Amino acid sequence: MKLLSKIDSTLNKIETTILIALFIGMLLMAFLQVILRNFFSGGIIWGDILLRHLVLWIGFLGAALATSNERHLNIEILKRFLSEKQRYFVSALTNLFAALICYLLFKASLTFIQFEIANENVIYANIPSWIAEVIIPVGYVMLVIHFIIRILIDIEKAHTNKDRA
Amino acid sequence: MSIWIIIAIIILFALLGAPLFSVFGALAIFLFISSDIDTSAVIIELYRIADMPALIAIPLFVFAGYMLAESQAPKRLVNLAQSAFGWLRGGLAIVVLSTCAFFTAFTGASGVTIVALGGLLLPMLIKQQYPEKFSLGLITASGSIGLLFPPSLPIIIYGIISEVSIDKLFVAGILPGLLLITILALYSIREGARTKVPIVPFKWSNLWQACKEAAWEIPLPLIIIIGIYGGFFTATESAAIVAFYVLIVEVFIYRDLDLLKDVPRIIKESMILVGAIISILAVALGLTNYFIDQQVPQALFELVKAQITSQFAFLLVLNCFLIIVGMMMDIFSAIFVVVPLILPIAKAFNVNPVHLGIIFLTNLEIGYLTPPVGLNLFMSSLRFNKPILHVAKSIMIFIGLEIIALILITYFPPLSLWLIELFGVR
Repeated sequence: MKLLSKIDSTLNKIETTILIALFIGMLLMAFLQVILRNFFSGGIIWGDILLRHLVLWIGFLGAALATSNERHLNIEILKRFLSEKQRYFVSALTNLFAALICYLLFKASLTFIQFEIANENVIYANIPSWIAEVIIPVGYVMLVIHFIIRILIDIEKAHTNKDRA
Repeated sequence: MSIWIIIAIIILFALLGAPLFSVFGALAIFLFISSDIDTSAVIIELYRIADMPALIAIPLFVFAGYMLAESQAPKRLVNLAQSAFGWLRGGLAIVVLSTCAFFTAFTGASGVTIVALGGLLLPMLIKQQYPEKFSLGLITASGSIGLLFPPSLPIIIYGIISEVSIDKLFVAGILPGLLLITILALYSIREGARTKVPIVPFKWSNLWQACKEAAWEIPLPLIIIIGIYGGFFTATESAAIVAFYVLIVEVFIYRDLDLLKDVPRIIKESMILVGAIISILAVALGLTNYFIDQQVPQALFELVKAQITSQFAFLLVLNCFLIIVGMMMDIFSAIFVVVPLILPIAKAFNVNPVHLGIIFLTNLEIGYLTPPVGLNLFMSSLRFNKPILHVAKSIMIFIGLEIIALILITYFPPLSLWLIELFGVR
């Protein structure tokens, strides 16, 4: 339990740091583009490409943090009728489901990236597009890891809950 | 047959509370596999996220909204509204409606309004001797009241999914949004008169003082409205300006928030919401692509056409359907999944896509309030420590009032479309 929380919080710290850096970059770049476009009649050409990919990166990092903070959007009708212990059990089950789906999405994104590398696609000038897209498989792997940690924490909590009762 | 069993299992997981992105992801993967398409097609669709310039507005506006909510802006704006409307019977209720509308527009009705403003406004209402039930209902209802005003997140997302111009939607929402507020305000004034709440005499000096205090926040809606109506910049550009402006104002001018202590935490908090939204969008794109490929909207249309022939009846059924959707799902998932299915059908019934968007969002706004799963009910119940049933009872009259507004918005399209023509927004 302690080790799990430690791994979770270390991962979280790394993700948060990158996320904050990327967001600040995005904020400054987006503002700079508006200034350049409106007052100097022309923005940086690759600026918009960068901004659009930053949305993707920020989205995946935010999703990873949403997992460990249990902030994903979901439907909670049935959960409300369960006891605390049952709730941990169901939560472990749904997190297992999410981990499995993220793993499948990870596999699908590997195929996608391999295809992009094989075709030598570029996003701008001679920058290969896989560099921008690599966040997709990496993001889904991070989600798998976070969901597995959630499952273990749920099981642990269900046990301690039983002991107390 | 086995297809339906697997779909039923996936839906069961959704009802048990699995993250919705994993549910839509599962559906997308499964449906692609069952049609012999490689699952990497889901990722190809996902990668379209990097092709949507309008999406850039989402993290920027969410950040701006969270910054405002965490600063002293709620206090300053309540103060301003109080000195402007406090002299009316029911004036404080109008203060609640107008400040909540402002905040919901900026924070996208994610429950932030109730958390940030509720603690401030509920004691004020009680102190001015408004009935407790009315006060609780009013604040709960106000938690999503600004949904139709720019730069509301759900409007941006509807625009992205339906490929309707976001600038147009921003303009279209103004009158319907005002209508909603007006109806609730009239009821509040009546309630204020009936319970004989005390009034605060109007003083120019108070208003002037409050204006001065909020001087840096008053221009915020103007940046968006004048910028877009005047054709100076797009929704995405105004997001960049607003986010940067809010950062400077709250950190360096008001000094409400510390650059190193508060801002990183607020970035993290706001980007968690963005991550939750983007992760759903990511897989919903694949799912939608499958639906369109398999001509599901056409099939649905054939089904609908057999039962419904007039636009009037279609809109009626649509509204009932959407309120149920709003009760079950959060607003973002609802837009991602339902809009692509409904849009072609609505077009066939001659419903303008901009008008449809406003109808859609008004319905989901009501969905926030409807038991058993309306988000605002839970936010209020948590924030004010009241049983959910008590909150639900307090909200009933407000649901009724919003349904009246919904009917007007649905059957009187000029409410949504007139300003667009007037300003010639493209």
